[in-house]
Amino acid sequence: MSASPRQPSVLPGFNLTLGLAVGYLSLIVLIPLAMAFLKAFQLSAEEFWAIVLAPRVLASYRLTFGTAFLAAAINTAFGLIVAWVLVRYRFPGKRLVDALVDLPFALPTAVAGITLTTLYSSNGWIGQFLKPLGIKVAFTPSGIVVALVFISLPFVVRTVQPVLEDLEAEVEEAAASLGAGRWQIFRRIIFPAIRPALLTGFTLAFARAIGEYGSVIFIAGNLPMVSEITPLLIVGKLEQYDYRGAAAVSVVMLAISFILLLCINLLQRWGRLRQV
Amino acid sequence: MTAPSRPAPAATVTEPPWVRGLLLAVALLFLLLFLVVPLAAVFYEAFRKGAGVYLAAITDPYALEAIRLTLFAAACAVPLNMLFGVVAAWAIAKFEFRGKSVLVTLIDLPFAVSPVIAGLLFVLLFGAQGWFGPWLKAQDIKVIFAVPGIVLATVFVTVPFVARELIPLMQAQGSEQEEAALVLGAGGWVTFWRITLPNIKWGLLYGVVLCTARALGEFGAVSVVSGHVRGLTNTLPLHVEILYNEYQFAAAFACASLLTLFALVILAIKTLIERRTARQRRPSSGETA
Amino acid sequence: MSIEIQGLHKRFGAFAALDDINLTIPAGQLVALLGPSGCGKTTLLRIIAGLETADRGNIFFDGEETSGRHVRDRQVGFVFQHYALFQHMTVFENIAFGLRVRPRASRPPEPRLRAKVEELLSLIQLESLAGRYPSQLSGGQRQRVALARALAVEPQVLLLDEPFGALDTKVRKELRRWLRRLHDELHVTSVFVTHDQEEALEVADQIVVMNCGRVEQIGTPEQVYDAPATPFVYQFLGHINLFHGRAHSGWVRLGGLRLRAPEYQDARHVPALAYVRPHDIDLLREPEDRDSTLTATVSRVSILGSLVRLELLQTPGGEIAEVEMTRERYAADPLKAGDLVFVKPRQLRVFLQQDAESTSPVHWGGHGDGI
Repeated sequence: MSASPRQPSVLPGFNLTLGLAVGYLSLIVLIPLAMAFLKAFQLSAEEFWAIVLAPRVLASYRLTFGTAFLAAAINTAFGLIVAWVLVRYRFPGKRLVDALVDLPFALPTAVAGITLTTLYSSNGWIGQFLKPLGIKVAFTPSGIVVALVFISLPFVVRTVQPVLEDLEAEVEEAAASLGAGRWQIFRRIIFPAIRPALLTGFTLAFARAIGEYGSVIFIAGNLPMVSEITPLLIVGKLEQYDYRGAAAVSVVMLAISFILLLCINLLQRWGRLRQV
Repeated sequence: MTAPSRPAPAATVTEPPWVRGLLLAVALLFLLLFLVVPLAAVFYEAFRKGAGVYLAAITDPYALEAIRLTLFAAACAVPLNMLFGVVAAWAIAKFEFRGKSVLVTLIDLPFAVSPVIAGLLFVLLFGAQGWFGPWLKAQDIKVIFAVPGIVLATVFVTVPFVARELIPLMQAQGSEQEEAALVLGAGGWVTFWRITLPNIKWGLLYGVVLCTARALGEFGAVSVVSGHVRGLTNTLPLHVEILYNEYQFAAAFACASLLTLFALVILAIKTLIERRTARQRRPSSGETA
Repeated sequence: MSIEIQGLHKRFGAFAALDDINLTIPAGQLVALLGPSGCGKTTLLRIIAGLETADRGNIFFDGEETSGRHVRDRQVGFVFQHYALFQHMTVFENIAFGLRVRPRASRPPEPRLRAKVEELLSLIQLESLAGRYPSQLSGGQRQRVALARALAVEPQVLLLDEPFGALDTKVRKELRRWLRRLHDELHVTSVFVTHDQEEALEVADQIVVMNCGRVEQIGTPEQVYDAPATPFVYQFLGHINLFHGRAHSGWVRLGGLRLRAPEYQDARHVPALAYVRPHDIDLLREPEDRDSTLTATVSRVSILGSLVRLELLQTPGGEIAEVEMTRERYAADPLKAGDLVFVKPRQLRVFLQQDAESTSPVHWGGHGDGI
């Protein structure tokens, strides 16, 4: 990376800090990532495509992206409501609830995994009520969705909340004085303002959910073709010492993750433009 | 964070009571189902077989060894990434240079990488068939399925936390105070310690707390590089997995409850910092008054 | 300490922030850098301080070149526009900072340091607030703390960036008088940046009017106000009326008005602009001599305290001019809206249009395009 100061500054330490930061980042993150790509490209093109498009792998993509999308969508809807309630309404215990929203960030995913599995198994606290209805959650793809909803729950709430807080009450009052109803105000004034944040939150939740491993492996059942997520498939390949296969599937996942990261950056830039 | 200073919206511009009630009920029910019930379940399951089983599970030598390794990995990863965060934030927030936005994006990269892939990266580098595998084997150094691999994986997944907190904070603060210190004759080092650091201390602490939480709880990346050797390369989250897979549910939840308690402490510290910085921000918001 | 600036250039990308600045600031003077925002005045101040480096040119402090000297060693005091007080330090510690960070050898012992800070606190009349934090102070108090902090290191030069910009009008007026008195006591060479002409006219010994990275005029407040060197200075300082006309063979014709302009002896039908201050106009009921007056109608009369402002409509084009007179003069002959008057400029300055257009058309206050 060519990083040269555009403008000299009187503050000291530019070369030192930039050098250290770039060096550390290269050593810990960039070089290992580059090595993974190199490993995958040791395969011929046919071998590569044969691995990453094998039926079992394709099934795992479908499951991983499908459940992650569903979980992110659920969190977008409920996250908006939670953020709305936390910003707009007063109720007892609000600060506690507000603090608790971050629990999935702080709780190790393995703990979430075994707890949700226990809760949703057929004799668990929640599973026992679902069983008579013929709904099976643990050890099925719907269990994966439950785990992913848990681990990606804070994203939408935490991206939408500050934007809602910064919305000026006067704009809504102005709309009301012009004769708009509450629903019209939400649809035409509030929603456009929070849309970038909502999309950012959705993308963050989605990106987090597709990479998730710890909480999912306990609840998923891990049946190939049915409930085997892509990260688990990578671990399986590793355990069989199929390094190239694991690297190939990882490269596909990484490429998708990078695209999502790019989307998040663009969305945040869009959100900032909106605020000005 | 809430905005307690905002007056309650006038009745004309809020929803009808039944809508408010409905939204509140939906939000609370959702959070109850997904946050409170699991939280309660951890402790319920942990103590289901009685306090004796609980104590035995968390004082088991393997459990203690796992706790020690977990703390060790965090003690390596957190200071390293704290230093990185401060250094990177200084370069990014205080200077203009080409490629800055690329650097900021690269710092976020570990967040976008699945933990399993993070672990895989180090297996590909240092594993038996990895780039440096044969060389390491010749030197008789073990990285994968050993402690160094666990530390590396933990460092990787926690790289962004401190930097992400500090960059926007230092950008918002600007460089005027540092410039003022320099004009008054202070050197670069003195300026950093006496002016910059006091201004960013809460953001730094916040980042460190989040970084610690992730370092202690990391599962996927560590799982891939660990090899799950009890008493040697088992962290506490991995220990929970082993116990659970051996159907020792009470013991698994006992260890899980320790991690949960720690998560709650993290949340409490985090909330305190948020309140503190919110209070600090209020009086100074009247800059132009 | 005197400051001499020679051939200073500074670019930000394609934008020329400073373009060949030459300037001498005599020791002990209080000088204002005055200009619209973006004219380069803050950049010039920061370069003098050593916070930025010039692309070309030299700055001498008492004849000594400064470019090699780091901002730490320049012995300048700098007051930032938003004060840049250290938020986590008390007022006392803010003021003491510059003394505390000195190398051990030149650092004053604690009792001397305390005495010095207390002396400064009494100078800014904030003795009782020494233990407060910046966030607990009003804007004017913060401003004074910033000044005391800068003075604590006994600077040879005091530089102030829009020192009163963030304050409301009343506090601003108080503080600038206080700054003037302070300067008269301390006599430290001071340069302050402002975009407020009133502030510059009231406080400064010398005013440097800047525009688009260049110096337009240097002079005392009287000089820049009474004898503006360029059309820009005319427009920027005070209100003006603008009349369009033509210069030809030493004469300038502005509609019905014909004036001698010997300096434009060689001009041949060149478009010209004439600038007249609203208080340099006489209004007559009867036409004097045909070549020295313009005809107009009074369209509006406003009483502004001790002044009366009349808006005039000039019949052919319908443009508006402004005239100001004292209450007494108005009382002698109270004109009303609709009255026909004859306009006689007492003092008027003509610039050829090509000169006038090379400066940016910043209009401050009213101007009338005549005839």
